[in-house]
Amino acid sequence: MFSLLYRMVRDRALAEDLAQETFIKVLNGIKSYRPEFKFSSWIFKIANNAAIDHLRRKSIDTLSLDGAPSAETPDQVRATSLQLGDRAESPLDEVQNRELGTAIERAIARLRPEYRSCILLRHVEGYSYEEIADTLELPLGTVKTYIHRARNELRGYLDDRRD
Amino acid sequence: MTDVSMHLNTDEIELWAQGLLPAARAMHLADCSLCRVEAERERKVILELVQLPQFAPGAGFADRVMAQVKIPTPSGDFTA
Repeated sequence: MFSLLYRMVRDRALAEDLAQETFIKVLNGIKSYRPEFKFSSWIFKIANNAAIDHLRRKSIDTLSLDGAPSAETPDQVRATSLQLGDRAESPLDEVQNRELGTAIERAIARLRPEYRSCILLRHVEGYSYEEIADTLELPLGTVKTYIHRARNELRGYLDDRRD
Repeated sequence: MTDVSMHLNTDEIELWAQGLLPAARAMHLADCSLCRVEAERERKVILELVQLPQFAPGAGFADRVMAQVKIPTPSGDFTA
């Protein structure tokens, strides 16, 4: 669950805060747990909601290195691009860059949050399509579409890297 | 019954990439370079994804969580 949060927000300290918030909600709200629902799915659902809420609150639709999705002109893209190396790296930054700096991690970061959740649950956590649909409360067809699109986008990003 | 000449759909390509596609359908890949290329690209992405490491929170995380959890007492009250 921490891995999902970390890859969703790409900030170790923030991911820990969200994981903490998730566990506190789970443990304090255990009476509202419905046994017909897989327990781990319930936890992932709360964690994913926490991450999505955070990203929406912060208006970080995708944590893109290439500027905000809403940027339409080159100036807007430059202004909203993540500038790497323009400040001293803290030890935590170094850890994060080491952990999330690979091509595949950077490609995942460029996906829409909804795609990111689905692809991580499918291939990193090993959930079935049906479990993802239950966990994220999405129609099965939507989950399949998100995962196929996410993989297509990842292939595109990784092919760009190889060219 | 599925015709062996039919192209693989996205679900079948995912099954193939995971080694789960029935042999009768996998045979199509021997004759179809289009599906073979597509399936191979898909397999590489899936392989990269399934090999991603799991991360763990830092030391003291569990203590920080438990410090904020209300534990029910025998009297029905809650204690932090």
